[in-house]
Amino acid sequence: MVNQSRGDRAVEWVIVFLLSVVLVVVIYPLLYVVSASVSDPLAILKGEIWLLPKGFNLDAYVKVFNNQDIIKGYTNTFIYTIVGTVINLIMTTAAAYPLSRKDFYGRNVINLIIVFTMFFSGGMVPMYLLVKNLHMLNTMWAVVLPGAISVWNMVIMRTYFQSSIPFEIQESASIDGCSNLGILTRIILPLSAPIMAVMVLFYAVGHWNAFMSALIYLTDRDKFPLQVILREILIQNQVDEMASVVDDTLIQYMMDVEALKYAIVIVANIPVFILYPFLQKYFVKGVMIGALKG
Amino acid sequence: MKARKLSTFLILCLSAIILFTACSKEGAAPSPGNGSGSAGQSNEQGSSGNAGAENTAEVPNLNLDGFPIVNEPIQLKFLAPATPTPDWNDVLVFNEYEKMTNMDIQWEMVTSDALDEKKNLIISSGDYPDAFHSAGFTVADLINYGQMQGIFIPLNDLIDKYAPNFKKLLEEDPDLKRGLTMPDGNIYSFPRVFDPNFPSVLSGWKLWLNNDFLTSLKMEEPDTLDELYAYLKAVKTTDLNGDGQLNEIPLSISGDYRILIILRGAYGLGNKGVMHYYVDTQPNSDELRFIPTDPRSKELLQYVNKLYTEGLINQDLYTVKSEETFARATEGLFGAAIVTNPRTSYNQENFIGAPVMQGPYGDRIYSDVKSSLANPATFVITDRNPNPEATVRWIDYFYGEEGMKLFFMGVEGVTYEEKPDGTLAYTDLIENDPNGLTRNNAISKYMTWRNGAYPSVVNDKYFNGSEAQPDSIEAAKKLAPYFPDEVWAPFSFTVEENEFMSTTGADIQNYVEEMEAQFITGQASFDQWDNYVSTLEKMGLKQYMEIYKAAYDRYKQNQ
Amino acid sequence: MKGSIMPAEATAPVKKLRTRPFKLMKRNWDLYLLMVPVMLYFVIFEYAPMYGVQIAFKDFMARFGIGGSPWVGFKHFERFFDSYYFERLMLNTLGIGVYELLVGFPIPILLALMINEVRSSKFKRTVQTVTYAPHFLSTVVVVGMLFLFLSNTGIVNQLLRLFGIEPISFMTEPGWFKTLYVFSGVWQQMGWSSIVYLAALAAVDPQLHEAARVDGASRLRRIWHINLPGIMPTIVILLILNVGRILSVGFEKVFLMQNELNMQTSDVISTYVYRTGIMGAQYSYSAAIGLFNSVVVFVMLVLVNWIARKVNETSLW
Repeated sequence: MVNQSRGDRAVEWVIVFLLSVVLVVVIYPLLYVVSASVSDPLAILKGEIWLLPKGFNLDAYVKVFNNQDIIKGYTNTFIYTIVGTVINLIMTTAAAYPLSRKDFYGRNVINLIIVFTMFFSGGMVPMYLLVKNLHMLNTMWAVVLPGAISVWNMVIMRTYFQSSIPFEIQESASIDGCSNLGILTRIILPLSAPIMAVMVLFYAVGHWNAFMSALIYLTDRDKFPLQVILREILIQNQVDEMASVVDDTLIQYMMDVEALKYAIVIVANIPVFILYPFLQKYFVKGVMIGALKG
Repeated sequence: MKARKLSTFLILCLSAIILFTACSKEGAAPSPGNGSGSAGQSNEQGSSGNAGAENTAEVPNLNLDGFPIVNEPIQLKFLAPATPTPDWNDVLVFNEYEKMTNMDIQWEMVTSDALDEKKNLIISSGDYPDAFHSAGFTVADLINYGQMQGIFIPLNDLIDKYAPNFKKLLEEDPDLKRGLTMPDGNIYSFPRVFDPNFPSVLSGWKLWLNNDFLTSLKMEEPDTLDELYAYLKAVKTTDLNGDGQLNEIPLSISGDYRILIILRGAYGLGNKGVMHYYVDTQPNSDELRFIPTDPRSKELLQYVNKLYTEGLINQDLYTVKSEETFARATEGLFGAAIVTNPRTSYNQENFIGAPVMQGPYGDRIYSDVKSSLANPATFVITDRNPNPEATVRWIDYFYGEEGMKLFFMGVEGVTYEEKPDGTLAYTDLIENDPNGLTRNNAISKYMTWRNGAYPSVVNDKYFNGSEAQPDSIEAAKKLAPYFPDEVWAPFSFTVEENEFMSTTGADIQNYVEEMEAQFITGQASFDQWDNYVSTLEKMGLKQYMEIYKAAYDRYKQNQ
Repeated sequence: MKGSIMPAEATAPVKKLRTRPFKLMKRNWDLYLLMVPVMLYFVIFEYAPMYGVQIAFKDFMARFGIGGSPWVGFKHFERFFDSYYFERLMLNTLGIGVYELLVGFPIPILLALMINEVRSSKFKRTVQTVTYAPHFLSTVVVVGMLFLFLSNTGIVNQLLRLFGIEPISFMTEPGWFKTLYVFSGVWQQMGWSSIVYLAALAAVDPQLHEAARVDGASRLRRIWHINLPGIMPTIVILLILNVGRILSVGFEKVFLMQNELNMQTSDVISTYVYRTGIMGAQYSYSAAIGLFNSVVVFVMLVLVNWIARKVNETSLW
């Protein structure tokens, strides 16, 4: 290890300090969410929770897991996420790689065609009709196919290929007789671990949290993803304004919803939240060096 | 090399095939429903409302009265919201009813979350069901899909011939007919009706006073605005719940809408009920009046502003959440509150309904009264329905005593029983569900009425909501004598009128809302009142009132 | 030594580009093959439905389908422009969008640069994991916490009182709305947004850092001359993409934070559309507003992209 100069050490301390501040500012509300999810709803309502839970109880979680549809919801979401993300990765790479090549004739036009769709779309009615006409209504494909390529993500991936992978490497491989597909599989992909990790994250989280397509295109309850089920739990006790329903159950409902909100956030997100630590190792500096030497 | 060329060729072929099939399925603009002839232009008079060109004289298979409704079983597709009762294909109410009617209803359930978007998309796709139940359509939808496009069929004749219960209701309550009839003279929907003899549900949220506080303060129930003020002031300055702190909240409200409609009658405002927040009539005349710019509105706002600035209303009324209000209520802090029922909503036993306040000019009107036509469009029949006659008979049952019993209470001996005094009550299956379900959830398991505004009648015999609680009924008794002489049902606007109302009209209403909030909190001073009125005029108030008058004239004529 | 890294493609031999197009295409036939399913996707799922754009110029009626509904030209657009609140809506929406860009865009970059410098991998991973967590909170929960911390009796006002400052009604003061909206958004998204930059930073060649260190460059200089230029294409592209989002002020969060008292600054296009009951059957009107949005944004984007291309050779297309 090269010894750091005094100036450098100072900078490092400043950075550590700033990051620690960030850490505290971010973590406090997160801890609040965790605490609230296991607290007595009345205490939450009264604003008595600050950091630690009060009136510890797991009722909210019990309520969530008692819902018979939850397991199905999780299963469905897992399937949609995995299938969806695989499709996303393949399609996005298939788009980003050619477009990153300066010698890909027509790339400007194609880029424009693709980017244009980020801003202009036909709207819900034609999409619904399309899905219907393709006989995808009430199937997994309605949730997984539209949006197979996110232009936003594609552009990011393309930029990564263009700026982080020197063209010379590709060139010399081509001279050595490697086809484009070969370059893709043997050079680009190994060097793209960081961006692939990012794409997995973005797409997987996108699928995991998605509910709009499911709401519109799915009708069978046993196909509903997690988010739809969870939203239902929250609105289940909604009171009809004009002719309300009886009793202490209204009170019970108010209490339930308070802690439910927080429990739901945690239940919904734990699986995908832990995805990141697994992907973090790809964000390590120097991932390219190893590949280059290979 | 060869393998690669072959695989390339295959991929290209595959792609071409996919492309080709996708394109051919797509085609041109999609065809809408099976389009039964009528191009959906507005009819000038009530048409006979048949979809399948049935001869109205003799409808085969249909029994004109009694059960079953059809001799040979038929199948119809209805759409309904799915929360909290998720599947109406297998629920007690409709299972029973199917046995009775011989009609197999295929329910298409749509999550309530997506209901608004989905129902419109389904219609747009041309692939819509035979009827929509509790789908939350608006009057504008009725005009759009009914009058303009013929997707909802006119029901006048069908009601006349096949809906004796509902027909009776229409005859007994002309307001219903007036509110249900669209500008082209047709009725396109079945409504949710509030029994006109059920004042508690007509008045919904009420003002309640803390009786314990009144007693401790040795005060009488206030029944004028001044007395109300005095009471609230006393609550603020006395430690009434004995906790050593002056933390009592004299009046707890959420938003300003309700306090304004409850108190406006003390200024003689809102003399046609609450379905029309912005318009009523000049006293003793038929001329329309725009309430927010009337000088009396200024006085009303000044009164409420006084309450606010003196801390007699919770200062966070515009941001407070119902959960927070509930939490405060449980600490016994409220001197008064606006809520459906403090006992069921807040667990507080000691409240009584407030009397109707009298204002500085001697007016004592209770304006917060809904029309019996609570929700105009809870059940609509589409032009794809092969058997509208049977459908009308099907839905009509729920407007009669027996049908209401089935819909709200379920099956006798299973979900309800008749007590010796003649009243009905839920059985233990509901009240003390063996699986530990709450009352609400138990109700949703066997009955569907919690899923949204339904086509039926709400009266105190079969409805067991907060408004049916004895204290609510008591409270309503105090209010009933001061209900407006006439309560208007919602008006219907033509398409052009609606375009104005939904843009400029909406802007005007928006501006009123924002300004009223600012006047109440003092963000805007009352010096700006004239400015406020002239801005409204500039925005197009004159045209607003002209349109309103046209709609009102039509309303009066619909007999 | 000159600090910045030249973009890799600038060193690519130029002569290849002068080859005739047909030859290029033939040589890269497998690249075109790759693009086939991609183009299929865009044709089917993006371009085919685009005929729906017409809805903005028609009075859409389900019975006649999109094709059969009557043309009304710019009627819906005029309706929108004539609204009393049009200016306010545009100002608020744009205002929030620009504010978000100015504040919310640089912060994730700074965060990524800082995280990248940390040597302790444990600390690094902790910071990364913690900061990216808020992204997963639902809007309802985030706004709920906002209300909680900023209410009259909330922690912030209690602190203020301690210092003898008058409590501020954050959630109803029009002046505070945009700031609250933007900063709570930064809090929620900065960790998540920094991920892209972290990935880009991972591709920066550490040998460059070694060489610079040997030459005596301080840490700050190294960040400025190596890291920053190394991720500049990513930064520029994301900037352009974010400009493209400038009018998309989300509905849910604004709606939850809105009330009668702060409407002057909190009313945005999406909430206006919702409030005037325009969702659902009034497809044409909301389509017109959507189209207007898209056109405005697209124009802005062309401009920004042109500038970016001139300055950094990075372009969206």
